[in-house]
Amino acid sequence: MDMIPLFHLMILIVFPPLLLGVIGKTKAFFAGRQGPSLWQPYFDLYKLMQKSPVYSVTTTWIFRAAPLVSTAAILAAGILLPITSLKPAVQFWGDLVLFIYLFALARFVIVLAALDTGSSFEGMGASREATFGCLSEITMFLNLTILALISRQMSLSGIFIGGLASCWVLVGPVLILVVVSFFLVLLAENARIPIDDPETHLELTMIHEVMVLDHSGVDLAYILYGKAVKLFLFATLLISVIFTFKTHQFFIDIVLFVIEILGLAVVLGVVESTMARLRMNKVVYFLFSAFIFSIIGFIVVLVRLMGAHS
Amino acid sequence: MNVWLDSVLILVIILGLFIVASSRLGTMIQLFGVQSSVLGVVALLLYAQDLEFYIVFVALAAIVLRGIIMPNFLFWAIRHVSVRSEVSPIIGLGVTLLLSALSIVGSFLLASKLVFPAAIGSELIIPSSFSLIIMGFILIVGRIKAISQVIGYLLMENGIFLFAILLLKKMPLLVEMGILLDLFIATVVMGIVVNNISDEFNNMDTLELTTLKD
Repeated sequence: MDMIPLFHLMILIVFPPLLLGVIGKTKAFFAGRQGPSLWQPYFDLYKLMQKSPVYSVTTTWIFRAAPLVSTAAILAAGILLPITSLKPAVQFWGDLVLFIYLFALARFVIVLAALDTGSSFEGMGASREATFGCLSEITMFLNLTILALISRQMSLSGIFIGGLASCWVLVGPVLILVVVSFFLVLLAENARIPIDDPETHLELTMIHEVMVLDHSGVDLAYILYGKAVKLFLFATLLISVIFTFKTHQFFIDIVLFVIEILGLAVVLGVVESTMARLRMNKVVYFLFSAFIFSIIGFIVVLVRLMGAHS
Repeated sequence: MNVWLDSVLILVIILGLFIVASSRLGTMIQLFGVQSSVLGVVALLLYAQDLEFYIVFVALAAIVLRGIIMPNFLFWAIRHVSVRSEVSPIIGLGVTLLLSALSIVGSFLLASKLVFPAAIGSELIIPSSFSLIIMGFILIVGRIKAISQVIGYLLMENGIFLFAILLLKKMPLLVEMGILLDLFIATVVMGIVVNNISDEFNNMDTLELTTLKD
């Protein structure tokens, strides 16, 4: 039996919280502190798993189902995306559309749960999340369309295992645009600092945090874990675009991948330590510039493809 | 296809977008300087195969005059004016950005319909020059401060310069030098106008200029 999809699944399940640990450590280093241990996110998850959740009487089953559904959707998206040269368990023609809309499903159920609490505060967060989600989702979609066009593949496995290998030489500028735009979307989608601060609970500026205030215990653990996996998937996507070189030797690829993704986590930590959070009305411009980067890339790719055919 | 030329042209478009989207006058001027220098590099890259003296001369003239002297002159012009940013533009920043993005799409569509007599180094040059011209128009129409309008005019000129680079072999020096001279004089005149407006009205809103007199 082929063991690679199993191994892929194991990395997908075990690895993600470590990224948060590395980001935390980098931020602590910049602040001149010792900081929590690298394994702190695992301890937090373990602690939350021990606690029993508290449910408000105004909530319905939607509120209880949302953490499970969203985490399941994000993990399901994870088994479509290859990790370096490891083939994922599932792949088919056009799975990149499913990939994006599984994230949209995860967002949708969390927004519903936030509305379900009946708190106007959480409703505000839900409205912000939905607004910014519109912009980042279309940018993601355009970026993946560009990758599909230039690698002439329609599945994530096809694009990232082999499909992109020769593209940096031919359409390097477009790929730089895609990388920049992916990076901006990564910051926005995962509530990192220029957009949203994952550590504070300041009501005027929160986006993602405000929606999960009423979740507790196991439910909160699911949501935090889901966020970690989402960050891991976006980071994997980004470094799969940047580093197309693969040895196809199982262990060397894994070691390279771990170095690359931890490096990206350090970069994220540096960005968070050196930048201030944007004002809420600037977030739209931030996401809009990501969208414009990808749309310029898209146009250039179209021009190039038309030029190649004629 | 030339990867470096593509990268530089994409950089030019993105710098144009940043100029249009920023509200601080200092940032706009600096970005304009960078963009103009990059345009000089475009001329060098486009004719990298057979580089001749006058091409290097035009590129250097663009870099020095547009990239260094004019930004410094614009900084001199806003030095005495207390206003440092465009507070209430006629067209908001978000809408400006949206219009500019549309203008890029539109110029690529337009350029794909046009037929050119001679072969062109890169398919991206003509659409990017069109989009720079439109962005310059948007800036002129949408802003109130005189200095933003000057930058809009200069952005438009950058677009025209990009187009003129294509004709460099056919009409060496004549067009470019004409444009550069015009541009320099225009910047000087506008700088003086900006200073006079600010002396007269204590700000540099062109909305104050409502009556003519001799």
